[in-house]
Amino acid sequence: MSAQQAGAESAHDAARATDLLVTVAASLNDRLAVTARELERSQDLLREASEELLTAFRGAADRIVAAQKSAPAADTGNADLEVVLSHLYRAVQHIQSHDLVNQLIDAQKLRVRKMREKFEQALALAEPPVANPAAPQFWLERSRAMLDCIVAGIAQIDDEARGPRSDRKHAGSVDLF
Amino acid sequence: MKTILAVDDSATMREMVAFVLESAGYRVIEAEDGAQGLDRATATPVDLVITDQNMPNMDGLTLVRSLRELRDYKSTPILLLTTESSDSMKQQGRAAGATGWLVKPFDPATLLEVVGKVLR
Repeated sequence: MSAQQAGAESAHDAARATDLLVTVAASLNDRLAVTARELERSQDLLREASEELLTAFRGAADRIVAAQKSAPAADTGNADLEVVLSHLYRAVQHIQSHDLVNQLIDAQKLRVRKMREKFEQALALAEPPVANPAAPQFWLERSRAMLDCIVAGIAQIDDEARGPRSDRKHAGSVDLF
Repeated sequence: MKTILAVDDSATMREMVAFVLESAGYRVIEAEDGAQGLDRATATPVDLVITDQNMPNMDGLTLVRSLRELRDYKSTPILLLTTESSDSMKQQGRAAGATGWLVKPFDPATLLEVVGKVLR
């Protein structure tokens, strides 16, 4: 095999490797687009439910605050107020959970967006026309740059910029120093 | 009437804390991050600060350190109310001068009990 033939084969292999990276980046990007839409939809549903819950909560909370202000301390109606208040306190815990899940979804949306940005960068690197398709070095450099973007995208999974920890074991715990 | 400063970047969380505390007879003022919390605390003396940890502009631990540098807040109780629950974070809170650490979501009865205790 002549040196020219060997060079052409190497360039062909390198070009195929680049195509493979395009497929990987495009596939990951497509899947993340679906994830982004699902997160958006979940958040919309949660927001709707939270708004309903908050409206009901505010209605009851305003009434009990007004009743507390008008009722004398020894009023027998205070026992009823206490019962209503205990229900509202339970609602407070549920509303907090809604809020924390909403923040968690925000953090996941941000992470997905950052990952997609990197995969889109990788795909953009494959766009410019090839100056010298017969040169394997050209393809290798392009593949390396694309791979760097893909790895950087995947690394966003470990990004420290996270939302609230959903730690059920310690939720509600108290430490006084 | 005791005045409590509630600092949290979540409006819903501030609303929940304010409702629970006001239902027990406390006066509550709110701030949406540490920087605003510091401004509010210096403008109006408060008896207790309850702050979140992760917030834009200034986080809770920085707020605690900043308040502890002020003469008026050397001994004012400051509680962290956050989703962070690691021992290392609590250790940092303690070192910064926080009085206590509560993990979200909080139980209203427990919050009132702790508030009553630190204000005594």
